[in-house]
Amino acid sequence: MKLSELHVGDRAEVSALGSEPIIRRRLMDLGLIRGTVLKVLRVAPLGDPVEIVYKGLYLTLRKTEAEEIGVNLIESCKASSGRGRRMRAMMRFGRAS
Amino acid sequence: MRGSGDITVALTGNPNAGKSSLFNAITGAHQRVGNFPGVTIEKLEGYTDFQGRRITVVDLPGTYSLTPYSPEEIVTRRYIIDEKPDVVVNVVEGANLERNLLLTMQLMEMEVDLLVALNMIDEVEERGISIDVKQLQKLLGSHIVPTSARQKRGIEALLGHILGIADGRIEIDKNKIAFSLEVEQAVEKIAALLSHERELDGKNHRWLAIKLLENDREVYQEVQKYPVWVKVELALQEAITECERMHRTDPEVLITEDRHAFIRGAMQECVVTPHAGKASLTDYIDMVVLNRVLGLPVFFVVVWSIFQMTFTLGAPLTTGLEFLFGLAGKWLTPLLPDPLVRSILVDGVLAGVGGVVVFLPNIVLLFVGLSFLEASGYMARAAFVIDKVMHRFGLHGKSFIPMVTGFGCSIPAIMATRTLKNRADRLATIMAIPFMSCGAKLPLYVLLAGAFFPPATAANVMFGIYLLGICVGLWTAWMLKSTVLKSDSEPFVMELPPYRWPTFASVLFQARMKALMYLKKAGTLILAAVMLIWAASNFPHSREIDARLTREKASIEASPAAPEAKAAKLGEAATRAQADQLEYSIAGRGGKLLEPVIRPLGFDWRIGIALVTGLAAKEVVVSTLGTIFSIGHAGHGAVDLSSILRNDPGFSQATALSLMVFTLLYIPCVASIGVMKKEVGAWKPVLAYTGYVLLVAWVASFLTYRIALLML
Repeated sequence: MKLSELHVGDRAEVSALGSEPIIRRRLMDLGLIRGTVLKVLRVAPLGDPVEIVYKGLYLTLRKTEAEEIGVNLIESCKASSGRGRRMRAMMRFGRAS
Repeated sequence: MRGSGDITVALTGNPNAGKSSLFNAITGAHQRVGNFPGVTIEKLEGYTDFQGRRITVVDLPGTYSLTPYSPEEIVTRRYIIDEKPDVVVNVVEGANLERNLLLTMQLMEMEVDLLVALNMIDEVEERGISIDVKQLQKLLGSHIVPTSARQKRGIEALLGHILGIADGRIEIDKNKIAFSLEVEQAVEKIAALLSHERELDGKNHRWLAIKLLENDREVYQEVQKYPVWVKVELALQEAITECERMHRTDPEVLITEDRHAFIRGAMQECVVTPHAGKASLTDYIDMVVLNRVLGLPVFFVVVWSIFQMTFTLGAPLTTGLEFLFGLAGKWLTPLLPDPLVRSILVDGVLAGVGGVVVFLPNIVLLFVGLSFLEASGYMARAAFVIDKVMHRFGLHGKSFIPMVTGFGCSIPAIMATRTLKNRADRLATIMAIPFMSCGAKLPLYVLLAGAFFPPATAANVMFGIYLLGICVGLWTAWMLKSTVLKSDSEPFVMELPPYRWPTFASVLFQARMKALMYLKKAGTLILAAVMLIWAASNFPHSREIDARLTREKASIEASPAAPEAKAAKLGEAATRAQADQLEYSIAGRGGKLLEPVIRPLGFDWRIGIALVTGLAAKEVVVSTLGTIFSIGHAGHGAVDLSSILRNDPGFSQATALSLMVFTLLYIPCVASIGVMKKEVGAWKPVLAYTGYVLLVAWVASFLTYRIALLML
């Protein structure tokens, strides 16, 4: 699946970095390579860039860039239904525990 | 010569690694700022004297890597390769070693004389991280000096090591990182091929080979020129096929992964981080600041505070400066008996210098605020919060603050676009800023809206004008980004640095640099332009009108009227003479020449003159209108400009609207043009832009005028 399909609170491992050379290069320079475990921290108030955290680095990227990153889900945030999860993401006060 | 003489040191490091603070701590007050050739990236240079030797320090831009994709990285790389500094100091953030070491690895590959400054060592100790410096030195093959720029720790030791390396007393073991088997074989093969090319003698063949495998377009262009390329290309193809077969990816990814693998190994061997159980202060602050509900309000409060600080706090300072310049003029006037010399010095030179200096308070205050935001870590978060809106128009989240600043004054706003790293984003933002109606245009809106509309409508008219400016500005940015600047688009991938309390010295340093930069780089240009416009509105000077004024004065003096009536008549005669002189001058003739062009907008030649002189500064539009429309009115009891305009046959509601729209959109003042040229780096785009704004202003005013004529 793609990074852009993850929800706030999900943990995932990077499996591929897409084909767009500049984005790929930028991500690699920031230490995001295959095998990196990341967590989706939050979505910006207006719904676009997302913030992820890995290896102590807080990175923001637009959904269009997140679509370039392939991931394997490790741990989903606990809410079950799509709607409940969205609500939780909306109401969350900061990062998930 | 080793062992004596001066030493040049280049500082490199990730953004937020504390590079600039270290630079400040080393060089103290001995700094100067310049630009790297061909790009508008600041080059900070400073020096310090240590053990009788002069050490010159060049602060290279902060980068995560050394790819050829961003101008900062190209500049850094070229400087290291071409200028060959004696020592390259790599500043790494102690608490975030893992990601800082990527740059270190790439510097190692360049085989430069490297020294690592393990910076923010105080933070490392605070967080209980232990780093085995000795072992890390062994792995990296270069010396490591723990430093803390904030506490001024380790600076002496760092300088001592710099001397040691430059003099050859400290041996640097230039460790080669071994890559995966396939990559390593390819690197060696290509390096061997390159070593046969005589033109490439003295270059680092291994580095070139690595870069070729990394698909580095700069190195490609360099090597492609030589006959050896045929063989190299073949070897590259082979390597790509091999990596694809063995690792399901290309050499570029593999090389980066190998570097990261090396770093991970080094980290496991040398660094023990206590388990990060609890959230850091940054986490807590971000829970509020980036919260889905509170994020936007916090953002707007911050932007509002910056704006208020810059312009509300700056206003009395600006007024004070203007007052001082007025005082200087008054003091100078009686000392200069010759009217022409007096006019040149007082109205030309002094007013010109004043016109440059009045912007200083705003510039200094804005950059105190902005460098605080930047250094504290909020700037990146502001971009994160507002990016979605700006992205709609092809802009970056960081474009927002400069654009809002444009409502106060375009000059500091244009300078503030430096925070945008991507050139295309910067250009688009710079060209949108002048449409954000600046404070100097406000008096004209107040005058015209107040004169031609009832109070309730006047506010709406002014609001509409501001709104129109915002729309045209965003449209301009969007259009630029989707046409001429399209190819340069950069991905939005941005680190949110941890919050830090900025040091007082570095915030002041930034503000001082910006002020000096403005005075030195743009000041001369602005001064020349202001004086040129002054000359155009004063020359040629008609002696006839002078003579007429003298005659009139004499006849008024001789008449038997009361003193008050005499004074009024004298004033009227002087105003008439002033207006006639203006009409006679180049600016006046220009205004008349313009009449056929601006007639369709509802403007006569008098408004044309005001628009020409308004190029000096937008406030001047009102004062010129005041001078030129007062002719023949002074005696009729209608003394204030708004009623004069209301009663003038050349002015109607439609004209007023059209003039407001034109003033909003047409060429920005010469000061903005000067700063714009400095920030863009070339005249061509600025001139093209000037043509564009004239066209937009003409069309918009034409439509406004025609529609208003139909409706009002």
